Amino acid sequence: MSTTSVTPAPEDTIVRKKLGFGFWLCVTWIGLMAFIAIFAPVLPLKSPTANFLDSARGRPPYAPSWSHWFGTDKDARDVFSRSLYGARISLTVGFTAITAGFLIGGSLGVISGYYKGWIDRISSFGFIVLLSFPSLVLAILLTSLIDRNLLTVSLVLGLLSIAPVGRLARAATLQYADREFVLAARQIGATNRRIIIKEILPNVAIPMSSLALLGMAVAVVAEGGLAFLGFSVQKGITWGGLIQLGSDASKTLQDAPWIAFFPILMLFLTVLSLNFAGDRLRTFFDVKETTL
Amino acid sequence: MRYYVQRVALAILLLLAVSMLTFGALNILGDPLFNILGPVAGDVNNPDSIKMIALAKKEFNLDRALPVRYFIWLSHFVRGDFGVTFSSTGQPPVSGVISERLPRTISLVFLAQMFAIFVSIPWAIIAAARAGKVSDRISTINAFFLVAMPNFAIAVILKFVFSLKLGWTPITYVADDPLSSRLFQLLLPALTIGLPVAAVYQRLLRTDLITTLQQDFILLARTKGLSKTRILFVHALRPSLFSFITVVGLNTGALIGGSIVAETVFRIPGIGSTLVESIFRNDFPVVLAIVMIVASAFVVINLLVDFAYTLIDPRVRR
Repeated sequence: MSTTSVTPAPEDTIVRKKLGFGFWLCVTWIGLMAFIAIFAPVLPLKSPTANFLDSARGRPPYAPSWSHWFGTDKDARDVFSRSLYGARISLTVGFTAITAGFLIGGSLGVISGYYKGWIDRISSFGFIVLLSFPSLVLAILLTSLIDRNLLTVSLVLGLLSIAPVGRLARAATLQYADREFVLAARQIGATNRRIIIKEILPNVAIPMSSLALLGMAVAVVAEGGLAFLGFSVQKGITWGGLIQLGSDASKTLQDAPWIAFFPILMLFLTVLSLNFAGDRLRTFFDVKETTL
Repeated sequence: MRYYVQRVALAILLLLAVSMLTFGALNILGDPLFNILGPVAGDVNNPDSIKMIALAKKEFNLDRALPVRYFIWLSHFVRGDFGVTFSSTGQPPVSGVISERLPRTISLVFLAQMFAIFVSIPWAIIAAARAGKVSDRISTINAFFLVAMPNFAIAVILKFVFSLKLGWTPITYVADDPLSSRLFQLLLPALTIGLPVAAVYQRLLRTDLITTLQQDFILLARTKGLSKTRILFVHALRPSLFSFITVVGLNTGALIGGSIVAETVFRIPGIGSTLVESIFRNDFPVVLAIVMIVASAFVVINLLVDFAYTLIDPRVRR
């Protein structure tokens, strides 16, 4: 190392990167939502399915009040606790989908970027075929044909993320596949499997993982869209389903906007946080502008 | 020339793969016989049902092997015969449903795309010209908020504010109204789809413009004494449009997806809302036709975008 002369960067060009206050605020919100999603049944929340009919207040829906912070819906169910419970399915589906997408798409991308040749051609063609469908159309088509539960909906959304993730992983792998340290590893007799795991993967995984939060935002929105149209998990409370319930009839939306608007707020803040934190991470790790 | 032939061949190959996937998914994951006959399909002890099953199998070629059925369907499909809808009378034919409803979706997506393009370009130019200043930061935050807002939420908010509270826009789409009022009825749906996409375009174009503005030929134009507006709109815009054009093409998919949501919320009988309804009615030929048309349109649009790209930058062809 001492033989190569490297000009040290001038003091003033070194910018100490910081994630910033906004990033931690967003991470706090995501953490809070995740905490609520996991522990909702043991937290002191009102039951999301119980009927809080109050004869003194007439017919539900009831407007937001001290006893029901976000009001109630037409069946006198508490919108606040339903909005919190909605985080469970939305976040679980988002997380499972993006994990599956990264595992499958990531490995396909790394393998096709490393081996090139016919493996690359086949998987790249597969990626383009998947990308030839507008994603919501493919999601609707597949979810309409299956028995919709937490796992299958997650897997359908995971399938949708395979192609974009795979293409990114492939592009990142191509950058490293012919670098000196890979050649060196091959020279000393490392097997392909060892090279991929020890040499390629660490270089590809870090920038890719900074995209995971952005991918999760996309998956949460996609799940919301499916639920809104009636194609998400059949049983249980989801944000998309709550918004649909509050806006399906114009009269409900006009007279009791809180039924739709509080779930919208929760969904919006969560997606905003995932996007913002993901964007900061991407800048932090200096990943090139790519659309996921 | 060779480039164009290759691209068209790839597009045709893609469409074949897409059609096989759609046809296969609907036939293997779904149950076509049940979709045609309903509960009768499972009633194999009743002689009448057996007769009906045999008839339906013959009529819809279900007794043939899947690849054979695929080729029969494909040969009809490319000739514009999309089969019959699964109703008691089989009327109207699927092609009739599509030709009635497709124009509405096309106008909706077109309006949304035009809105997004014509809002995002000046927005990006103004933001790039003041990069880093307060107004740019505010616009960046706004774009961020818009991108984080799912389009079904935007649809609900727009409907609540402009249709229900202010009463400025109509709530329903009336197919028999004159063109001008139908276009007005498409305003909110188009905004629903176009707003987040405009924000995506703005963010991308702003970044590219800022990169372009740092180049030497901009400095030269400035030292020549050209006005700032001229530099921005004439010199900086064109070289910054490369990735913008690609993203406009790719986002057509998002617009089509958005049109499903917008048509459902604003009750527009286009092919997006028809897709959702047909799935719930198990109307398999309509679903198949709509998915195929939408995917084909998407493939063709991206092909055209690639060609448009070669017009701006001829190097791509080589």
